[in-house]
Amino acid sequence: MTPELTEDRIARWARQLLVPGFGAAGQERLMAARLRVVGADAVAGAALVYLVQAGVGTLWIDDPDVVAPADLEGWLYPPGSVGQPRAQAAIEGLAPLSRFVSVAPYPMGGVPTATLICASSTAQAVASAEVARRAGVPHVVMEAEGDGGTFVSVPVGAPCFSCGRVLAGTGRPPSPGAAALAALAAQELLQLIADATQKDGRRVELLRGIGSSRLTVRLPGCQCAPKPPREVAQADDDEAGDTVG
Amino acid sequence: MTSAGPLDLRRYACPITWVKTRIALERLAVGQVLEVWLPAGEPAESVPRSAAEDGHRVVAVEPLGRAGAAGDAYRVLVEKGTPAAALA
Repeated sequence: MTPELTEDRIARWARQLLVPGFGAAGQERLMAARLRVVGADAVAGAALVYLVQAGVGTLWIDDPDVVAPADLEGWLYPPGSVGQPRAQAAIEGLAPLSRFVSVAPYPMGGVPTATLICASSTAQAVASAEVARRAGVPHVVMEAEGDGGTFVSVPVGAPCFSCGRVLAGTGRPPSPGAAALAALAAQELLQLIADATQKDGRRVELLRGIGSSRLTVRLPGCQCAPKPPREVAQADDDEAGDTVG
Repeated sequence: MTSAGPLDLRRYACPITWVKTRIALERLAVGQVLEVWLPAGEPAESVPRSAAEDGHRVVAVEPLGRAGAAGDAYRVLVEKGTPAAALA
């Protein structure tokens, strides 16, 4: 059941309610949303804070690692949290920021409304993005590099993350300055939820504080291409066979 | 032409006056008229202006209340514009 946009919630999100594309309907969609965030390191911390303060209904944190000393450079973790499970430490850090949002570890098998992927490796990012795509869940995938990086938004049916990502980077390790990228990625995800009519994916690159955006294009032969109806039926039959077998 | 309200916002200040007016307008059909009561001063000036900028039509802005109290509050009538103009 969607919570009502009550007086105290209107006061909390007054200025966000005036942002084009949000409004009451968009805010209510955020309030009803369950967001899965894959990865909760120092860079992801800015995105987590942004999502909580924007008023998403439920935030699921999916990170099996523990807080590392490098995570203390971000926004979320206090010095005493090193060695604690990241998911739990993030919940403790986020809970005081809003009484309107439920923050919990990702429940195995939980189906999110949308997913933000801040994975620590490209392989994990690709795998998590593919899980979201196959489940028909809109997602945004962030790859931090130095104090900038890239994120790719993938509304349902848009070119997948593998089609949209930058294939060559310099490989610089993420720095806390990439918080700006994380906040932008979080905002992108909020817009996907608030405006369900968005169909185009895009790639945003942030380099030395300057952002650039372009629409993503499907690579020839990629499996994310929409299947003709006959192939869809065949694929459904194959999956049913797999399940029985 | 049907109407909605009155939405009594006399105890609120900016920007809540416009936020609540905008939410009420969002829930109306195009062409419906919303009656809003606003405190004098900035809200009575900025809400009609913001409504017009959002693509709605301000039908009336007039003092509200009994004789002698005029000027303390205003009655504003806003006709909802097209969704595209209102949400852009």
